Amino acid sequence: MARYLARRVVTLVGIVIVISVGAFYLIHLLPGDPATVILGTGDSPQNRARLYAQLGLNRPVIEQYFVWIRNVLRGNLGTSFISQVPVWTTIRAALPIDLEMIVLSQILSFAVAIPLAMSSAKRPDSWLDRFLGAFSFTMLSIPAFILVVVLVLVVAIKLAIPHTGVSSYVPLTQDWVANLESMALPSVVLAIGSVTVYYRVLRSDLIATLQQEYITLARSKGISQRRILWRHALRPSSVALLGTAGVNIGGLLAGGFIVQYLLDIPGLGYTLVNSIGLSDYLVVQGIVLVVSVGVIVINFVFDFLITLVDPRIARE
Amino acid sequence: MSEPTLLRVREVTTTFDTPTGPLTAVDAVSFDLAAHESLGVVGESGSGKTVLSRTIMGLQPRRGVSVTGSVLLNGTEVVGASEQAKRELWGRQVAMVFQDPMTSLNPVVKVGKQIDEVLRVRLGMDRSAARARAIELLEMVGIPAAATRYSAYPHSLSGGMRQRVVIAIALAGSPQLLLADEPTTGLDVTIQAQILNLLDEVQGRLGMSTILVTHDLGVVATRTRRLVVMYAGRVVETGTTRDVFARHRMPYTRALLESSPKVSNPSHTRLAAIPGRPPNLLDLPAGCAFAPRCAYATERCHHERPVLEPADETGHLFACFNPLPLRAASPS
Repeated sequence: MARYLARRVVTLVGIVIVISVGAFYLIHLLPGDPATVILGTGDSPQNRARLYAQLGLNRPVIEQYFVWIRNVLRGNLGTSFISQVPVWTTIRAALPIDLEMIVLSQILSFAVAIPLAMSSAKRPDSWLDRFLGAFSFTMLSIPAFILVVVLVLVVAIKLAIPHTGVSSYVPLTQDWVANLESMALPSVVLAIGSVTVYYRVLRSDLIATLQQEYITLARSKGISQRRILWRHALRPSSVALLGTAGVNIGGLLAGGFIVQYLLDIPGLGYTLVNSIGLSDYLVVQGIVLVVSVGVIVINFVFDFLITLVDPRIARE
Repeated sequence: MSEPTLLRVREVTTTFDTPTGPLTAVDAVSFDLAAHESLGVVGESGSGKTVLSRTIMGLQPRRGVSVTGSVLLNGTEVVGASEQAKRELWGRQVAMVFQDPMTSLNPVVKVGKQIDEVLRVRLGMDRSAARARAIELLEMVGIPAAATRYSAYPHSLSGGMRQRVVIAIALAGSPQLLLADEPTTGLDVTIQAQILNLLDEVQGRLGMSTILVTHDLGVVATRTRRLVVMYAGRVVETGTTRDVFARHRMPYTRALLESSPKVSNPSHTRLAAIPGRPPNLLDLPAGCAFAPRCAYATERCHHERPVLEPADETGHLFACFNPLPLRAASPS
């Protein structure tokens, strides 16, 4: 077990390094120029050159990378060219919003997907199973930005539930009830995407598991079907589910940006998109790094959960 | 028979819906089993033994199967009973030892937990009592260091150990009837005898009735009092084990006997294989299902189906138009 986990850690550290290099180069390939953002379009080339030298952007990209990564390793993500706010301060303000959105949406997703997958798997091809299959496929093919618009229209405008519309974000520290209201809509939108995926993955694994001989043996003990599903079938069926959830949650960490952007929620995704527009290199690099470490940590946690769920996996 | 009847099976027929039409895996099977009695059900692969044992228990899949006839277990009708009614029987009245211990234990649940589930859910024991009893059961089925093995996962146990765990699960609810479906097929030959002896021992100790399903006549020869020989889902011969071995009348029974190795034979004796293949259950011959493979078959056998007839007054029955003469039937 320890060796298995150690090997995973080594792989994951390697991935972080590769991502940090890749992110750095990609940003410098993007059109846009911080000098234009700071000085405007009409300034003289001399001023631009001076600003470049001041920001260290005149040096070769590879050298810039090493300067940046050396600072990162010392715990310094730098300060935004544009806003003059330390990058870490910006991230620390935005990250909890993403985490809250993810936690809420995932609790909701599992709470809905697991019972639905079970009721489908109990009777494959029943009308319920067919309905859920068609419904989940429909939901899967509706993009998040459409869902957001529809939900805002229904929930915020027609039903007029407070704190659910655009620009209604309330920080958790200010008023937790209002905060939950303002997070409900984005969490539901993210959850709908997750539920459809989790439902489909778990349903097919459950159907396969329920045909196993050990399920027949469990039946022959005279225990209830509910107990068979929860105690005997769910665990061996959830390896693929956990793997999928790890990847999916990682994607949500920054992938919620469309939802955040549309609803004006100042999370990481929102900040990232704004910073790219401003060519705010250090903020972009900082967020990409934090997100990639986050994705890796989440995957690591889920890999570990898988070994807990199926004791055969850690054995090699 | 002085003991009361525990199990009464009458005209049981199990039919599966398949894409190519209904498949009758068990066809009008009847027999009785007394309390404390042991019965062997023998036949080739595909003869319906496994389906029969699951039908007796009512453990067939919920969909795509229809069962007719009657299975009375201790006075309770199993055929057509609701899942809930059958759950009451399962574990407490009847339990099953499954064929392959590699697939019949839940791979992600500790073996001790798989045993004490019966004790806690069905017998209402509390956690610590169930644990103590589960360890006792593990000891009873001959698992060394039972207290440690309680927390082991199935993958860390050998096949023989796993089958002992399966037996412990079956015994946990102290059932009156134990169905063992090819309990040694998935095991090494050296382990097979140990498992069979264990089953014998617990049957004697706990006073259960057992049904031992097997294709191997050597397995049932000394371990069961009576035998049911099945072919293509039908009973073709039944009687006391002694009679079926020594005085069988049905050519299929003889063919089965001759195809199983005997210690008394000189070494390198060639085993007699039964020519041909078991029939396709979707397309059975009109007459005796064994006729196409039978050396004694006549015109009549191909057109008319023989029914079970008494061979004598002891309950020995056979279904054959051209029964083997008694003298020729006795081996050696």
